[in-house]
Amino acid sequence: MMAEFKVPIGPQHPALKEPISLRMTFEGEIIKDADVRLGYNHRGIEKLAEQKTFIHNLYLTERICGICSHSHTTCYAQGVEKLMGIEPPKRGLYIRTLIAELERVHSHLLWLGVAGHEAGFDSFFMYTWRDREVVMDILEIISGNRVHYAMNALGGVRRDIDEVQRKKILDSLDLLIKRTGYYANIGTNEPTFVARLANVGVLSKQQAIDLCAVGPTMRASDISRDVRKDDPYAAYAELPFEVCTAATCDVLGRTIVRVKELFECYKMIEFMLKNLPAGEIRVKAPRRVKEAEVVSRYEAPRGENIHYIKSNGTDKPERLKVRAPTLANYPATLVMLKNGYIADIPLIFAAIDPCICCAERLVEMTDARSGETHVVTMDELRKRSVEHYRKVGISRKDAVWQL
Amino acid sequence: MKILPFLPELIRHIFKKPATVKYPFEKLAVPKRFRGTPILIPARCTACKICQLDCPAEAIEIVPVAEAEKKFKMTIHNDRCVHCEQCVESCPFNAMTMNQEFELAVFDRRKLKMEYVYTKAAPVPKPKTETTPS
Amino acid sequence: MAVVKTLLYLLVYPGLLFLFFYSTFAEWFDRKIYARMQNRIGPLHTGRSGLLQPIADFIKLMAKEDIVPEKADKGMFSALPVFALAIVCTAAMYIPLWHYQASKVTFNSFPGDLIVVVYLLSLPTLIFFLAGWHSSNFFSTIGGFRVLTMLFGYEVPLMLAVLSPAILAGSWRLVEIAQFYQGRPLLLLPNILGFVIALICLQAKLERVPFDIPHAETEIVGGTFTEYSGKKLAFFRLLSDIEMVVGAGLIAAVFMGGFPGGLIWGFIYFIIKTLIVIFLLAALRAATGRIRIDQMVHFSWHYLAPLAVLQLLITIIIKGFLL
Repeated sequence: MMAEFKVPIGPQHPALKEPISLRMTFEGEIIKDADVRLGYNHRGIEKLAEQKTFIHNLYLTERICGICSHSHTTCYAQGVEKLMGIEPPKRGLYIRTLIAELERVHSHLLWLGVAGHEAGFDSFFMYTWRDREVVMDILEIISGNRVHYAMNALGGVRRDIDEVQRKKILDSLDLLIKRTGYYANIGTNEPTFVARLANVGVLSKQQAIDLCAVGPTMRASDISRDVRKDDPYAAYAELPFEVCTAATCDVLGRTIVRVKELFECYKMIEFMLKNLPAGEIRVKAPRRVKEAEVVSRYEAPRGENIHYIKSNGTDKPERLKVRAPTLANYPATLVMLKNGYIADIPLIFAAIDPCICCAERLVEMTDARSGETHVVTMDELRKRSVEHYRKVGISRKDAVWQL
Repeated sequence: MKILPFLPELIRHIFKKPATVKYPFEKLAVPKRFRGTPILIPARCTACKICQLDCPAEAIEIVPVAEAEKKFKMTIHNDRCVHCEQCVESCPFNAMTMNQEFELAVFDRRKLKMEYVYTKAAPVPKPKTETTPS
Repeated sequence: MAVVKTLLYLLVYPGLLFLFFYSTFAEWFDRKIYARMQNRIGPLHTGRSGLLQPIADFIKLMAKEDIVPEKADKGMFSALPVFALAIVCTAAMYIPLWHYQASKVTFNSFPGDLIVVVYLLSLPTLIFFLAGWHSSNFFSTIGGFRVLTMLFGYEVPLMLAVLSPAILAGSWRLVEIAQFYQGRPLLLLPNILGFVIALICLQAKLERVPFDIPHAETEIVGGTFTEYSGKKLAFFRLLSDIEMVVGAGLIAAVFMGGFPGGLIWGFIYFIIKTLIVIFLLAALRAATGRIRIDQMVHFSWHYLAPLAVLQLLITIIIKGFLL
């Protein structure tokens, strides 16, 4: 029997794109235990959202993440529109859904490349990212920027799609469909790649339900749940598409689910472009919102995204709470890592499509002198911060920004 | 399970032109409505300060310079700007536009601030286009 | 005169100077072909179309700060890169380029030098393990274990594959093997299976994808080389390049008919044949992903070793017909 090593993977590690600390116990090449520690990327977005108006928060929520930026801002905008009691026009909803599906395409192509890179298959990575540029160029033409599209307004969307852009997107779709088919073929037929994906990170159906996995991680364990079908928002009630599942419960299943979702996205984009309703793209929204609270759900490329917004009659929200999908997948990841090999860590972790900066909502306070840790509630944290800033002498009203 | 299925495509690509653009010697053109940095059109500005209110990054600052002649100074802090175009949308008089610049790297961030000194104009509301102000 | 020629042989061609420049050229060629296969450009700006890039990398590493971890054994840690480099340069001496005489036994060509080259090429693997062991870092230790486990996988098929053409030619001397096949080139064809196996095993020896398990970047940071920096890392990287050139030279000498024709023609044949081998290695590197260590050992003992034995059988049968 070999000795047990306690080793930290992260916060700095080539397998991770963002800092997170996985404290693992190894016995030889087998993982015996894993523990996760968050908080390295905490930016205080929820607190900042309480000090900015509803319009400002559209752009703040967008910057929670770069890859799934549109999902956060749409989830927020949907919630606030519910609070205000306004309903965006049909064309606005269609354009919002179009951007959402284009974002799903670019996110899944990015994931395919990252999976290839983690498995050492660098050529696959280069090719999928080269073809992802087609989608990024389309998004730049429609919205003015490659990431952080800023297409949402409270009450609809800000920019319209004209005939030239529509034609361009339809033409690029053919190229994308052909290339995605080719990658699906390579990904499932290259023996060295499949050997790394098959039977790795197994999560049985019952475990996935018990641990509340979301997104493709859950759908690869043969659970057919998707917010777009169960609780349709935006234009999804009128779009024909299917929920993609796989039955193998491992990383290969998650790859197959994402590739199938890519094909469904192409179908939806084509349908939306051919049936875009005419009309206005936005309605006017009030600046002040009466007291109410709302929960808004959205199917991000990584899973179910939940925003809880509470308003108090002014033009600033009382509370914004973001539950990103990766946060829900962490407990499932810890179970998947047990009894795997070291060589599987990057792939298992990459298979949940981690967007760690989305999920930074937890802060653990460690006493520097005694080394004890305890979790602090939001109210207590707020009390401590108010006291601290009063002591230091900076308050909001007369703050001078040095730069 | 095939042996080396990726190889034919790889060999074919040895003879194709690379997909890399040799930036900064070659540059790709940005599309028409690319969101660059905000620019003020002083002839139309009435100093109503709606853009200052609506900017999420507090990047616009309007201060009066001389009360009697109705002169104002607007400072656009390009180092704080997040390029969201909300100022263009909120302005009721079409006095803000975006240009196409994105190569904004400097060594001193104070060089990125743009200042405009102008007299307040008479309000001319902007024509109704696709985007109604919120 | 002979002393001058020997000194030239050891220091200039095919000695240290030639090895240094040719292995950096081989690394450039490998990187450029790998990049073109992936629709990229590869090295571009240093020198004309990036030819000086590997030399620039070497110089940069030599100029960087050299850090030795506190708990590591300072003597072994610092001496290992130099040992490894010396071993591989010694192995290069026996590749039959010039300054040999087929009739006489000289210091660089004697019966059994084929075995000496294969043995010398397997010593760096042991040195990698020692380097990982003396680094006092968990990731390096895991890298060291993986290096030795891989050695158990690929060494036997490599030996068997390289020995088959030698058995057919009836000699253990590289020069004689090369001359045998120069005289009867058709007999190279039965050795094709051995050629493929030797290529795959060379890829494993050089620790390149699909066998770059010991220094898998996304899993164990740097593997055996995690703690190495500065001059020591420069030597290890130069070692990998020279090992690639020596391995390619060995395969070209045994499977592709050697480098006949004295100084000038030998040089040209050497360049062409080793570049062909390096092209095949780069194609293999681009077209596959990394496999796990247990899968690698399974693959080599279930597929490579039986195929190598099959190649041996074919050689013995054909030799029976020849006699």
